[in-house]
Amino acid sequence: MLNFVLLILIYTGIYALMAIGQNLITGYVGLLSLTQAGFFAIGSYATAILTTKMGWGFWSTVPVAALLSGMFGFLIGLPTLRLKGDYLAIATLGFGEIVRNVLNNWDSLTNGPMGIQRIPMATIFGQRISPYAKWSFLILVWAFVLVAYLVYERLTSSRLGRALEAIREDEIAASSMGINTTKYKVWAFALGAAIAGVAGSLQAVFVLSVTPAVFTFMVSIMVLCMVVLGGMGNFKAVILGAFIIQFISYLPQLTGLTNIIPPQFKHVLFGLILVVMMIWRPQGILGRKERTAPRGLKR
Amino acid sequence: MKKVLTLILIVALSGSMALFAAGGAESAPKSVKVGFIGPMTGDYSNYGDLISKGALVAIDEKNAQGGIAGKIKIDFIAEDSEGDPQKGLAGIEKLSSSDKISALIGPVFTGVAFAVGQRVQDEGIVMITPSGTHKDITNIGDYVFRTVASDGLQGEVSGYYFYDVLGYRNLAVLYVKNDYSQGLYQGTKESFEAAGGKITIAETAQEGDKDFRTQLTKIRAANPDAIYIPNYTSEMAQILEQASQLGIKTPFLSGDGFSNPEIYDLAPAYTDGIVYVGPTQVKESDAYLKFVDSYKKKWGFAPDSFATNAYDAAYILFDAFEKVYAKTGKFDRKAIRDAVAATKDFQGVTGLVNFAENGDLVAYQGVYKVKGTTPNYLGAYTVVDGKLVSVE
Amino acid sequence: MIKEPIVGSVAEFFQHLMNGLTLGGIYALIALGYTMVYGILKFINFAHGDILMIGSYIGLFIFNAIRGQALGIWTMIAFFVAMLGGMAFSAALGMVIERVAYKPLRNATRLAPLLSAIGVSFILSNMAAWMWGTKSRKLEYPFDNTPIRFKGISITPHQILILIVVVVMMIVLKLFVDKSRIGKAMRATSLDLDTAKLMGIKADKIIAVTFAIGSALAATAGFLLALEIKVYPTMGTMTGLKAFVAAVVGGIGNISGAMLGGILLGLLETFGVAILGIPYGLKDTIAFVALILILLIKPEGLLGKAEKEKV
Repeated sequence: MLNFVLLILIYTGIYALMAIGQNLITGYVGLLSLTQAGFFAIGSYATAILTTKMGWGFWSTVPVAALLSGMFGFLIGLPTLRLKGDYLAIATLGFGEIVRNVLNNWDSLTNGPMGIQRIPMATIFGQRISPYAKWSFLILVWAFVLVAYLVYERLTSSRLGRALEAIREDEIAASSMGINTTKYKVWAFALGAAIAGVAGSLQAVFVLSVTPAVFTFMVSIMVLCMVVLGGMGNFKAVILGAFIIQFISYLPQLTGLTNIIPPQFKHVLFGLILVVMMIWRPQGILGRKERTAPRGLKR
Repeated sequence: MKKVLTLILIVALSGSMALFAAGGAESAPKSVKVGFIGPMTGDYSNYGDLISKGALVAIDEKNAQGGIAGKIKIDFIAEDSEGDPQKGLAGIEKLSSSDKISALIGPVFTGVAFAVGQRVQDEGIVMITPSGTHKDITNIGDYVFRTVASDGLQGEVSGYYFYDVLGYRNLAVLYVKNDYSQGLYQGTKESFEAAGGKITIAETAQEGDKDFRTQLTKIRAANPDAIYIPNYTSEMAQILEQASQLGIKTPFLSGDGFSNPEIYDLAPAYTDGIVYVGPTQVKESDAYLKFVDSYKKKWGFAPDSFATNAYDAAYILFDAFEKVYAKTGKFDRKAIRDAVAATKDFQGVTGLVNFAENGDLVAYQGVYKVKGTTPNYLGAYTVVDGKLVSVE
Repeated sequence: MIKEPIVGSVAEFFQHLMNGLTLGGIYALIALGYTMVYGILKFINFAHGDILMIGSYIGLFIFNAIRGQALGIWTMIAFFVAMLGGMAFSAALGMVIERVAYKPLRNATRLAPLLSAIGVSFILSNMAAWMWGTKSRKLEYPFDNTPIRFKGISITPHQILILIVVVVMMIVLKLFVDKSRIGKAMRATSLDLDTAKLMGIKADKIIAVTFAIGSALAATAGFLLALEIKVYPTMGTMTGLKAFVAAVVGGIGNISGAMLGGILLGLLETFGVAILGIPYGLKDTIAFVALILILLIKPEGLLGKAEKEKV
């Protein structure tokens, strides 16, 4: 049972990375983007292809995954800037589906629906980080989460964060204040995408295989739920959200009630969470982080 | 305040998880556990449902006789993979560490089978898949077996049969971009072309597609001798109906997905005359008929070939359990695996079962022709050195 | 990735045309619902496709309960009664959803109703799977669907039925919106909600009516579609999404635009694969690429009017 719980915690960590990215895009800028599945896929495949076909090590593929996803985030961000909330959501959803479609059909690169199997495990100082020996992999994932948290926290408590929030509150006012809204929105997209790519890399060396079927828009929805539930604009909160959502996902197995609770249960619950949270507590469980004046100004 | 709240919540969650961990199921000495992983929900839940029920028939039968050694009950624990390798991994994790299964039947789908296969190989639990047909699955390791002929064989037999026996020279193919369908297409294409035939047109579709008219219209224009559709039933039902609407009179060919009786519910008017390659059928053996009967009585519908494979897989495991228990009084996973590997001439309802060195089923393929809505068995075949050989 | 195109004969062309038009007709019917709701609330009802699905299930149950055995006049009548039943149920469902999940969020942030809609969509499709199982259910044709064939082109009565229903619905709707009092109120509300309210229009009621009509139309489309693709819990999702694209392409908020967008998308998908040789695997991509293109080139849609964003 412990192993199973550790597995859930590993999945939580991987998803937490994506949630952090989503938080930047949706929580800070207020853009409803449903792209994380697509960037997750890109990162996963990048690692899969580089390790199996070119013999790279896991660690070298991570920056590639991040850069590649970030680049696509940039490319998606540019045209979709002008779109209002609703259109953006559909366009980003479409992007996720397009990615999956392309991966499924580009046989020569991705092996199509067969996917890429036998991905070599990640190694550190010559030791393999086996996904079967849960503890080491768990530490690996959460190390990434910690780093991501610190980095993104830093980013958002700086000018970038303030600009993003200004854009969220009132885009026209922000731009008349001289904020280059285009630049910031695109950056948010790219950064949100990059971290999802990193999550994908980790996924690849955990499951040790990638198939297009895994990266459905269900993944994007789950990540969105994590942000909505935890609290938009608050990185700690979305990590909590990741916990809760994964916990709910595996509730039937944890409680041993697999035969009684149908698998649709968790999907219905996710739907309910979205509706209820929006009506009752749209800021999420932990609410939005309060902006405090930077220390320097206190004088 | 918020920080404290977060911390408390995280600790509480972890704590409750740990509680679950502590209270994990103790493997009762009075039972032996068999796990199952398959798609119990989603578009293809029909397959997961049918197949798990095949194993259940076997388990209930055995338990009715007292279980292993007449006194040890067999527990069957099914986990839903949703067709997703990630969920499949979660499933095997739970089955392996929490339920402490001694063996696994499944997974159903190739993609999941790969992910789970690597896991069981590492963990050391024997796995028998009744339907994972991709040829590389058993290459994962010596803990992975299957009671279904690999795609490799089905593709081979199909290609040569279509060319040699049915006399087709030009084939059209309409396949879906998933591992099952594409795998069969590639295998069949290879052998059909080796025999001297030509695939004049190969159209694809996405999983979940319902409209195949565009592809069928193009196929109609290419005027092939026959159309090969190696897909799952829901797609094939649509294809057959739409083909008929488009006035296509060309004969259709298919693979073992067609052995799922659901096809006769979905498209009964269009199945007449179809030839498909599937599992062999021991000429109406008593054991087979008895199995179909019990299955129908218990569940209300007929089993497909994969369910039958699951039935045999279960009995192979029972044999292994009996042997190991008799010798050691325990159910050691490695010993069970060795016993399964040593299976020789096992009399299954699908015929004589032998495992090849890598865990593949030493098998033949059956060919069927549908009359109305009833499949008629034409015979068993295999391919030896690039030549089709009919088997008795 | 682009294979050599197969144009084939004239018969081929007309066959593809027929296929494209009927597909487009379905998209158009569904797009109408999206466009009407968006016109008034400036909001995409993500759950539209799922309301379509529920309506189809209800219609299926009614049909199976009341139809006779043989294919005759009674079966046809039963079919239409069932369709109306499904439409009525969907209309009611649409109104309930609006009241419960969207109305409370009318003055919230932009994101809120969208997220709520996604949630509703999830709830509907999974409850359907929970209650009715995931297996496809067959909706029997109430008539003999043997195709009519001439000069190498096959057209089924089903395809003809779709085209007739779509055209009729379109005309009825246009007349309703242009000529009736409620229609006028709807147009006023969609121009400016607050002003309309000040003019004495009961905006809440109008919004409810809009949802009802849109949902009923979706149910019609779903029921007709179900004859071919069967009834199953996720039947509305992809089609619904593409119908939304159609509505945007044609000009969201514009009824003629929905029709145009729908037909256009249906033709684009069919001919894109048949003539341009786009691999069928990327068919769905066509819709999304079309979306992105139209949003870049003419975001208000082909028949839409550009809106100035007020500060």
